[in-house]
Amino acid sequence: MVDITRPRSTIKALANPLAPRRGVPDKTRRIKEWTREVLKLEPDVAVSVTELACRDEGCPDVETVVGVMRPGKPIETMRIHLPISDISKDDLNEIAAVHGGRGVA
Amino acid sequence: MTSNRQKYYLLAYDLLYYYKSFPLDNDGETALSKNTAGRGKIPVFLLTGFLGAGKSTLLNHVLQQPAFGDTAVIINEFGDVALDHDLVRVGESRITRATTGCLCCTLGSDVRSTLYELQTMVDAGEVAFSRVVIETTGLADPAPVVNQLLPGGAAAFGLADHIVARNFELAGIVTLVDILTAELAIENQFEASKQIAFADRLVLTKTDLAREPATKTDIERLRAQLSIINPSAPIIDWRNSDFDAAELFLPRRYRPTDLGDDVTLWLALEGAIASDNKIQAKQDDDKTRLTRHGARIRTFAIVRDEPVEAAAFQQFLELLSKSAGPSLLRVKGIISVEGDPDRPRIVHAVQHVVYPHTVLERWPDKDRRTRLVFITDGIEPDPVKQLFEASLNSRPALIQRALTGIRKDTMKVFRFVAIQGARVWKLSATNRQGRHHG
Repeated sequence: MVDITRPRSTIKALANPLAPRRGVPDKTRRIKEWTREVLKLEPDVAVSVTELACRDEGCPDVETVVGVMRPGKPIETMRIHLPISDISKDDLNEIAAVHGGRGVA
Repeated sequence: MTSNRQKYYLLAYDLLYYYKSFPLDNDGETALSKNTAGRGKIPVFLLTGFLGAGKSTLLNHVLQQPAFGDTAVIINEFGDVALDHDLVRVGESRITRATTGCLCCTLGSDVRSTLYELQTMVDAGEVAFSRVVIETTGLADPAPVVNQLLPGGAAAFGLADHIVARNFELAGIVTLVDILTAELAIENQFEASKQIAFADRLVLTKTDLAREPATKTDIERLRAQLSIINPSAPIIDWRNSDFDAAELFLPRRYRPTDLGDDVTLWLALEGAIASDNKIQAKQDDDKTRLTRHGARIRTFAIVRDEPVEAAAFQQFLELLSKSAGPSLLRVKGIISVEGDPDRPRIVHAVQHVVYPHTVLERWPDKDRRTRLVFITDGIEPDPVKQLFEASLNSRPALIQRALTGIRKDTMKVFRFVAIQGARVWKLSATNRQGRHHG
């Protein structure tokens, strides 16, 4: 007799295939790439991206902070008041232009 | 013997803690305290993991072991009603209280002030303990706490910070990974990846739910994914026969440099963020005129004085879980049930999974109200509260109306993600410039 029942994954059975997926890890990588591109960074400059969440009144709900770390220089931070998943390359262009006056770009 | 000699303290800080106080004369000589005495500092462990991963369960399990009786526990949680302290029960010990707190702004410094309070009590001979375990909320970013506890991390301000640095050291970070929700959590919540990356021990939980071969394949895939985020932390299966939870809390050297570039860069960035001048940040806001993104993660609570009818309550939880699905990040609560008001039920739901409730033989404290805490992604409190009331009062029309409201909130999240996806696609296709925020 042939068993036609295929093994079912508990994880997949429980996971909703329609669940929204924000693609955060992939987007984080792209933000790092965009930052390098927009600011024309040398390979020895490190870029770090983090998302800060805050549930207190008066704090931004979610903001993304991009850190540009040039060797021997203080870390430059760019704050974007959007979650990582919502950031586009234009946001980086815009913020880099603003930061340009302060020496980031 | 020691139980009637235990003392309990409650301090009014954003992070509060409970601990069992042991008489110095007979408990100061445990193997572990000798161990830590040799190292000179009290080890501090961070216990983290995404919402519903099983942190409180693991902590309960460990604290029940006699060798872990002399543990100070700091619990950080947020939400309108503090509940986690009720869900961690250790023998006769009782109460911790924890309150809401702005995680990004205050968690770090609160850890130092709480540890300072503990040290003051040690110096006064009031308590002795061999280790500290900090259980973070599932949404916590570990970087601020790690910077506060590492030598060379955040700058020490004042005597209190120096005393903390002299007496405590970070001795390990344990991150629990729920196999059922990990993949989505990593995809959707930035903190999930960060918690995994900072760990020096990763523990897979709920693997007992993986019986079928296909699920085992999924677990292998998850292990591979975890190894990419954190190449050095051992991945331990909670359900393995040789799993020893106590080993997770044996002091070791915690070195961020062992964990990869992401972690060291995050710590550096965290330091820069902490020292950013707040006034400057405000000026930046005005200059760039970026609008703040609307609230995404919501926490709210339902509190009810009268007991609830068990079947109606179960219906509420199942309807909510089915209609909200992954937008329901977490529900936890303590329930007073009609007909059995002396034995409260503890309920948990994580996303679309409602776990069987557990029965407590008595209430943890004088508060005998039903209390439920919800953490949602985009779902507003009102329809959930309406669903709760309508379910308990058996009002089908109102139930339907509430469910419509919940689905509407869920769809908003769906639509939002879809719009974002379309926008990114469109932008990359046309390389359009000069888009305005709003």
